[in-house]
Amino acid sequence: MIPRRWKSRQQAARLLLVILALTLAAAACAPDEDTGGGGTGGTVKLGFISPVTGFVAALGTDMRRGWEMYWQQNGGKAGDVTVQTVYEDDTGDPEVALTKARRLVEQQQVQLVAGPILANTAYAVAGYVAGKGLPTVQMTGADDLTQRKFNPLVLRVGYTSSQSNFPAGQWAYDEGHRTAVTICPDYAFGWESCGGFVSAFVKAGGKIDRQIWHPLGTQDFSTYVAQARQAAPDVVFVGSAGGPDAIQLYKAWTGLGLKDRIPLIGNCCFADQVFLREVGSEALGLQSFTYWSEGRDAPLVRGFVEAYEQQHKEIPSLYAAGAYTMAQVIAEALKKTGGKIEGADFIGAARQVSLSDSLYGALTFDDTNNVVGPVYLTRVERRDDGTLWSVVEQTFPEVSQFGTEGKEAFLEHPVFSRDYTGQ
Amino acid sequence: MSAGRWAGAAALAAGIGGVVAAPYVLPSYVVSLLTLTFIAALLAGSVNLLAGQAGLVSIGHAGIAAAGAYGVAWATVHDLGLPVALGVAAALTLAVSAVYALTTMRTSGIVFLMITLALGITVFGLALKLSSVTGGQNGLTGIRRPGPVEEWWTFYFFTAAVSGVCLLALAALSRSPFGLMLRGIRESQSRMTSLGYSVPAVKFAAVLASGAFAGCAGVLLAWNSEFMSPSAASFQRSALAVVMVIVGGTGTLLGPLVGAGIVVGAEYWLSSYLERWQTALGVALILVVLFAPRGIVGGLQDLAAQRPPRPRKEGS
Amino acid sequence: MSLDELLLQALNGLSFGALLFVLASGFTLVFGLMQIVNLAHGAFYLVGGYVGIVTVTATGSFLAAVAAGAATGAVIGLASEGLLLRRVRGQELPEVLLTVGIALVVADTCLAVFGGNPRSVQVPSALSGSVQLGAITYPTYRLFVLALAVVLGVALYVIQHRTRLGALIRAGVDDREIAESLGINVPRVFTAMFVFGAALAGLAGVVAAGLLTLRPGADTDILLFALVVVVVGGLGSLQGAAVGSALIGLVDAFSKAWVPELSSFAVFAPMAIVLMFRPAGLFGRART
Repeated sequence: MIPRRWKSRQQAARLLLVILALTLAAAACAPDEDTGGGGTGGTVKLGFISPVTGFVAALGTDMRRGWEMYWQQNGGKAGDVTVQTVYEDDTGDPEVALTKARRLVEQQQVQLVAGPILANTAYAVAGYVAGKGLPTVQMTGADDLTQRKFNPLVLRVGYTSSQSNFPAGQWAYDEGHRTAVTICPDYAFGWESCGGFVSAFVKAGGKIDRQIWHPLGTQDFSTYVAQARQAAPDVVFVGSAGGPDAIQLYKAWTGLGLKDRIPLIGNCCFADQVFLREVGSEALGLQSFTYWSEGRDAPLVRGFVEAYEQQHKEIPSLYAAGAYTMAQVIAEALKKTGGKIEGADFIGAARQVSLSDSLYGALTFDDTNNVVGPVYLTRVERRDDGTLWSVVEQTFPEVSQFGTEGKEAFLEHPVFSRDYTGQ
Repeated sequence: MSAGRWAGAAALAAGIGGVVAAPYVLPSYVVSLLTLTFIAALLAGSVNLLAGQAGLVSIGHAGIAAAGAYGVAWATVHDLGLPVALGVAAALTLAVSAVYALTTMRTSGIVFLMITLALGITVFGLALKLSSVTGGQNGLTGIRRPGPVEEWWTFYFFTAAVSGVCLLALAALSRSPFGLMLRGIRESQSRMTSLGYSVPAVKFAAVLASGAFAGCAGVLLAWNSEFMSPSAASFQRSALAVVMVIVGGTGTLLGPLVGAGIVVGAEYWLSSYLERWQTALGVALILVVLFAPRGIVGGLQDLAAQRPPRPRKEGS
Repeated sequence: MSLDELLLQALNGLSFGALLFVLASGFTLVFGLMQIVNLAHGAFYLVGGYVGIVTVTATGSFLAAVAAGAATGAVIGLASEGLLLRRVRGQELPEVLLTVGIALVVADTCLAVFGGNPRSVQVPSALSGSVQLGAITYPTYRLFVLALAVVLGVALYVIQHRTRLGALIRAGVDDREIAESLGINVPRVFTAMFVFGAALAGLAGVVAAGLLTLRPGADTDILLFALVVVVVGGLGSLQGAAVGSALIGLVDAFSKAWVPELSSFAVFAPMAIVLMFRPAGLFGRART
């Protein structure tokens, strides 16, 4: 190793000069880079990133399961093309997600990257993959990904965080509610979720009494629920990201006796399966506006739920359904392009995909690569075997990420934030 | 020169040769891991200055790195040009390091640890909170690298050079009278005071110096990912930096580099093959603490000098 | 804020503080006696909690779950101390780092065994529901946690100051050499204390599962709170842990109510203030 006691400073200086000289000399010549390549003949190689460890391990695991299930059910093929997937774990950290994306693109030579889920990881990965000229398919909700930060190489097979809440706002008003209080987590997903509801509710003529923002990871919601109770609105909207926060919020809600006093509506991700498993029968009758209803009476949904339950002993969550649908859209696009994946052309083909039925319902895509599809008003009920799930009460077809405004008008105003929720 | 010195020089030449040859013989992905390793080594090196020399273990240094990173990220996203971006990064790093230094200069041991922990989490919280500036949870995208180092391989050389120079500077600092003062503080603060040194002033300077290197690491980090989000300031990142220092060996020049290599290897290479890589890392840490208390580099040094492994010196 | 709301928030803060006390008491006792900063304490909490949840699902008995959680903590604590920590006894930094390694292994194993879904415990019907306190309705379980912490605190105090065991421990803390020369098997006392602390952590995990949800990362979340509590209260002091947990619980509750944007680092404010004026903590002893 380096001699521990340098006799003179000259040695150090010489060392430095050597390093710099070599660096400069080397920097003059460019080495090769490895990208693209990918599948051979009738095979395509796809990369799939999701957080299988870390604080959102549940979501990432479900995503992987949903994706795998699609390929299992279709013999690992899309038409005549064999599909190979390389899986990576992003642990919920953008740095890790980016490095794993690099591995997929540069070392594993995948032709497309699907996932991850958390907004910051998705932005990091999408930025990198698109920068390499490869297509990427996302299911994260981050609004701007297909709005102000639109990229022709990025396709979202899913709904924006605000999208499924536009019908909620209108519906709440139509039900006769005139005042509302919102409870959303204090970060982009929460702002966008609330933004969807608030903008629609206010546009319809309603008034927002109070917007309650809570930090992510809040354990104890009694303060916030108490504030909602104090405002005594006609309806309360919750824009939750699911998981422990949703469970704790609802426990506080029922604990303070509000369950039968003020109507509560949840967003896409509030009353998911994780929630239902933990909260139990207190959740019966809870209404939400979402795009995934595991109890929806459609053959595709029934088949998926049955197969998933048989394999994994749980009802699939919206994360499993989302990944399954990503796979489905990619498969349909592959059939259109004959197994070729070439940058924006592939995304263009994917955008042309129109599914008369998917796990979400009838899907098409708009010209900024986002889903246009149905939103369901669901209610929690007990299935025949006693498990809880959501069934559809009402369907709102062809909801766009721009709500009822249309693209130009919608993009005029800034992205939903804590200060701007469309009031 | 003695045989030992020839061997040392040869090893050094081989090492440098390897670093320079890497982009030409290794796949670009592996080179990107090496880039990450150098950046991590720089952060670990900054932690090592305080931990190895002064016995002050900071478990919040990712916060200082994040300050530098956000400085350059914000300025770049606002198209303010490279000199301004570096200036903003330097100013932010200095400001945050000064806060760390002021709050910890009269403390040591566990209290020092706790305060740096709190500060790191505070930086993380601020990064989340000040979303109009930092992009909040979603972060900032599109942080383009400066022209000359835009390519993956030019950036690799740049990072290797910067990290190499900084690690040498850190080593020089350790061997300087300043380093002697730090070690004196680790041995006995009261003795240093009775010798006329102002212990708080020395600690203040040390934290500031350490912070400067951490800030450098932060700037490199932002340029490497071309993305920046609060998780770079998280407690987990700071803790991993400490793990790198310990596993590599405190108070050694190459310790941070070796430690960084192992942790980066576990986090990014091992994790692709072993889902339980965190368990493996934990076991590795336990083994190092039990059987190589002076870290891997320290342990190798002991072996080379044929000394039995002995426990690290404890300061008060 | 009305008086009712004040009372509600105060109860929230105190009940969360109660949970913190159950956790922090074990942590601070281990430190006081053995000078070990056990950063695996959060992991013991997590694994104990998960085992408790699984026990309730299997047996339907909350009591069994609590026992199982505490036992799990104890077993893992015994393994940690006996196999690992003992080898670096007396060396501060290596001990802390060993606990970091243990924490990594235990937390990752929990993920592997129990999965990533957030889990909580179905509280027994005797403790579920709410109680009418004046104008407010307050969950019974939270009051139970409060009562549990008080009982535990009193029990620990009595043991420490009124029993022979407590005297043994205090002797070991004050002067290990003299205690050994008096025939006290200090290493065994140390092991017993570490195991006890770990058992308390496991117990805290099960109790917490009725209040919060457990998931990957919950170990570091709660460990951070525990660290702040003992730094504020004074490492090694039981009274410190009690006062510290009450204070931190209250600060957490009120900051979430009044300044939610700052609540994630609001708990560091009391820590900063205490460290400025009494670096050893409110009830701590300055260490030489």
